[in-house]
Amino acid sequence: MSWLDAGAILGGFVAGLLSGTIGIGGGLAFVPILTIAFRTTQIVAQGTSLAAIVPTAVVGGVTHIRQGNVDRDAAVWTGLGGVGGAVAGALIAVHVAGPLLARIFGALLIVSAAVMWRRAGAAEAPSSPPTKADL
Amino acid sequence: MIPLLVLWARIDQRHANATSLVAIIPIAIAAVPIYYFQKGTPQVDFRLALFLVIGSVVGAYIGARALKLIPERPLRYVVAAVMVLVGVRQILIP
Repeated sequence: MSWLDAGAILGGFVAGLLSGTIGIGGGLAFVPILTIAFRTTQIVAQGTSLAAIVPTAVVGGVTHIRQGNVDRDAAVWTGLGGVGGAVAGALIAVHVAGPLLARIFGALLIVSAAVMWRRAGAAEAPSSPPTKADL
Repeated sequence: MIPLLVLWARIDQRHANATSLVAIIPIAIAAVPIYYFQKGTPQVDFRLALFLVIGSVVGAYIGARALKLIPERPLRYVVAAVMVLVGVRQILIP
């Protein structure tokens, strides 16, 4: 095992922590780690992040279900709808230039974040403080 | 997926974060073979993925357990801020 492998484990831990708390998938966490720290191409970063997110999401997802954090109906319809979108998206992605793909992805994130930020002010009151039972 | 759940389905941030992580399991499983088989050379580095996973499963477990400690509004701002940071970076240095 090299220092690079150890770096991947550490990077994976940070990405997993973000994945478990803020629910981000491979795209937000693993892709920047792979392209910046490991110098992979955008397309390999996306393919590798998808492979890495499967066990990560299984562990995080099962923990969330046991914690009562999951809206099961929403999980089913976003999961099923997402499969169709993912297949179409992946088929497009392997044929589109990396930089263009990265910029489209970045623009989508910023627009979504701006709308979420604006609506955060209108969000319900903060949830009740956690009890020991929550942990 | 999180913006979709929060903005369209009006699910609170904590449930949206957790739900998106569950929903991404079938999505990732469906997409990986395409990245692997669609081009001449596989676009998936499984060795690198293995080392990422060793760290990420531990992080995901701890993160999922910690989620209930974070109140709704700060959680939403953090999610939005992370999305902007990554988005800007992707545009400037694709």
